[in-house]
Amino acid sequence: MDIDSFLRDPHSRRRFLKRSGVIVGATGAPMLLAACGDGTSTPNVLTGPDESDQADVEILNGALDLELQAVAAYKLGARRLRGSVLDIGKKFLEHEQDHADALAAAIRDAGGRPNRAKSSYDFPDLRTQTDVLRFAVDLENTAIAAYIDALPKLSQGELRATAAGIITNEAEHLAVLLDALGQHPAPAAFVTGKAS
Amino acid sequence: MTQRIVPDGAADTAPAPERDRRELLRHGLALCGAAAAASSIPLLLSARDASAQDSGDAAILQSAINLEQVTVIAYDTALASGLLSPPALRVARRLRDHEQRHAATLTTALTDLGGTPPAAPKGVAAVDKVVKGLRDAKSQADLVEFLIELELIVVAAYNEAHAKLVETRLLQTCASITGSEGQHLVALRMLLGADPIPSAFETGKP
Repeated sequence: MDIDSFLRDPHSRRRFLKRSGVIVGATGAPMLLAACGDGTSTPNVLTGPDESDQADVEILNGALDLELQAVAAYKLGARRLRGSVLDIGKKFLEHEQDHADALAAAIRDAGGRPNRAKSSYDFPDLRTQTDVLRFAVDLENTAIAAYIDALPKLSQGELRATAAGIITNEAEHLAVLLDALGQHPAPAAFVTGKAS
Repeated sequence: MTQRIVPDGAADTAPAPERDRRELLRHGLALCGAAAAASSIPLLLSARDASAQDSGDAAILQSAINLEQVTVIAYDTALASGLLSPPALRVARRLRDHEQRHAATLTTALTDLGGTPPAAPKGVAAVDKVVKGLRDAKSQADLVEFLIELELIVVAAYNEAHAKLVETRLLQTCASITGSEGQHLVALRMLLGADPIPSAFETGKP
């Protein structure tokens, strides 16, 4: 199954959602989010929700921007991957789409409107498998840092708890990517997404 | 030089009507609750309930330190078992060192809050209160599977702690530790030749 077919297959995406049991959102890293969002939109809050819901919608949409960027990046990068590394890319693409789907559902439930993917993204020139893996490491680190920054800003304990489920998954992605680059999958005792 | 990609269908976030936020949350919480009930863990939970209903973050830190200490004992036991291959020994040493650093960092945070660090648990019995099976491990695979089980419980416990902690820096520290535990899971699953990331959401094991 090629990448496009894979993404269009609702069954393969839905089965992860069924397993997830979590959703969450994040932001609070304005520089990161400005780099990932369209930079011009205002928060997509509709009607009704209280202030904490509105704040959560903004945070969740910030996280959604990052996940949509990651989906686009893995989709592009998969074209340079081969063999077992391609399998990794496909799986991570599916995970990021699952995160995006869950975030979009949470935003709607909070009375907001989910941000949509940008019409295009500026990515570095990815000519080799190693280029893709290194870029993916950067993306995963960016996401982890943003989620950790945003975590305390979420209004509900349940959201914070489930946010950890996504942070941990992104940290796992990072581990597998590092291993594919010949590095140790668990290089540090604290995963912050930032250079130590 | 950059290249541009138009995400088309890949980026579509079509509604998932069968799963709204609260459904997902309920399921996630149920998983965490099941983890606590099934494993008899609940160092985090029991310590919170017993010792500090009103002391919030400090009580949670005490429980987390206790859980990290138990995990260190488990890794030390595995390291001393004679069952691990040289590559597995290297992995286990590294992960044990991480757990020690987690415990030390949390102890400092607890002290800063004016709390008292818990006494260190000792021996395999202390570990078996959390997960049974370490004493009975007969092979490297047994040990690694046990350690995966333990790491999953740690992840579940931290996930629950995130719902309760109040102080910003503590939340962020615990998040960075949870990420580390996830990477431990990857390293351990790789030793078994198992899928290193079986799910898009790592919440710990029911």
